[in-house]
Amino acid sequence: MKTGGRVTNWVANGLSRDVVAGVVVPGRWQGVDLAIWRSATGVLRAWKDRCPHRGMRLSHGFVRGEGLSCIYHGWTYGTDGRCRSIPAHPDLVPPAAIRAEALDCAEADGVIWVAGAGEAGPLPAVTGLVPLRSLALHALPGQIAAALPGLRLFPGGLRGVVVLGGIQTSLCLLLQELARGQTMIHALCGPQDDPVAVSRGLEDLRRSIEQGVAA
Amino acid sequence: MTPRLHDYVLSASCYKVRLMAALVGVRLDLVAVDFHPGREHKGPAFRALNPAGTLPVLETGELVLTESTAMLVWLAQGHPGWTGDGSRSAAAQVQQWLAFSARLAASLGMARLHDMLHFPADIDGCRLAGIDCLREVEAHLFEARLAGRLFLTGDRPTIADIACFPNVALAPDGGVGLEPYPGIRLWMRAIRSLPGFIEMPGIHRLHELRPAPERGAA
Ligand code: FES
Repeated sequence: MKTGGRVTNWVANGLSRDVVAGVVVPGRWQGVDLAIWRSATGVLRAWKDRCPHRGMRLSHGFVRGEGLSCIYHGWTYGTDGRCRSIPAHPDLVPPAAIRAEALDCAEADGVIWVAGAGEAGPLPAVTGLVPLRSLALHALPGQIAAALPGLRLFPGGLRGVVVLGGIQTSLCLLLQELARGQTMIHALCGPQDDPVAVSRGLEDLRRSIEQGVAA
Repeated sequence: MTPRLHDYVLSASCYKVRLMAALVGVRLDLVAVDFHPGREHKGPAFRALNPAGTLPVLETGELVLTESTAMLVWLAQGHPGWTGDGSRSAAAQVQQWLAFSARLAASLGMARLHDMLHFPADIDGCRLAGIDCLREVEAHLFEARLAGRLFLTGDRPTIADIACFPNVALAPDGGVGLEPYPGIRLWMRAIRSLPGFIEMPGIHRLHELRPAPERGAA
């Protein structure tokens, strides 16, 4: 996202606690669909959402131990991306060239970040805040920013002190563009802020932004 | 007698009843009804059983039930916990979500019937109403999780969760994606992890709970 002249390739793709060990979830980075998964021991990976075999979405697959298995024919990929096993040919050692396409993926302050492989700079800092929740809006990032003049742009999203849900809160909204004009907001708030009040405030905010977009 | 369920395999409401029965270990006699394309449920023989001509129908031996939420109550009887913890507040919350499940059926459920079986419907209206429902569930589950609860009404599942689960899980069949709902995703995973959980077309059990295929065992 390009903000205030600075550019970062990192895009927030969720909150760490929503991607528990042993799950795979869909993600998105600059128009590319992703499969984000966490192994049984906690290793997090972000891959293109495309099985090297026949292109099935890997986000529809499942995690078993330290591997991600495709739902279609069960090809299984290790955390290094390499295909480990092909159920239809159990005695075959899969060629090294068969591998999932990885993006860079990092976690800090309870946020999952994704960037294009090898092209990422430092992670946007959201220190001092606590992860709240993620929610999608039918609006573009620019429309969200325009609705919140009290927040300032920073690499990765919007940040500032606003009154939300009747209380003053330190709010950070990390913005992730989804398909079809939707944006995912990954919200963080101050450690002392009432999470229920901020969550309900975000619901109100979503209603008013979507009404503005529809009008 | 063994309770007899007049059933259609692709119906979310019939699945609710099959799932509940499986979770509490009640065996059902299944009578397959040719809902589509035969419209058997609209014929005179079926209407003699249920004048409304709707599925599912549960014959308990004593009663003929035609509302799936009533069937959940009947099945859960004698299985403590599935109807709440006995408190007034849990009982009321369970009723709240049983009623909410009718909104899910009218929105996400109808969108799915429109897309799969070509039911006439205001498809955009159904999808928008369905998204409103999903957002309510997601916000509720967020607050529940803050309080350390994984399910709709407490820290263990009740008939409320089973009533709401199928039409939520099948939302993509009606063109409503579940990608933006991390809380719903974790809740669905918790339900799919329950001992005795059964599948239906479009809702799978957790593959990772099955043993990995043996290497060399073709
Ligand atoms: S498409 Fe993934 S295993 Fe065949």
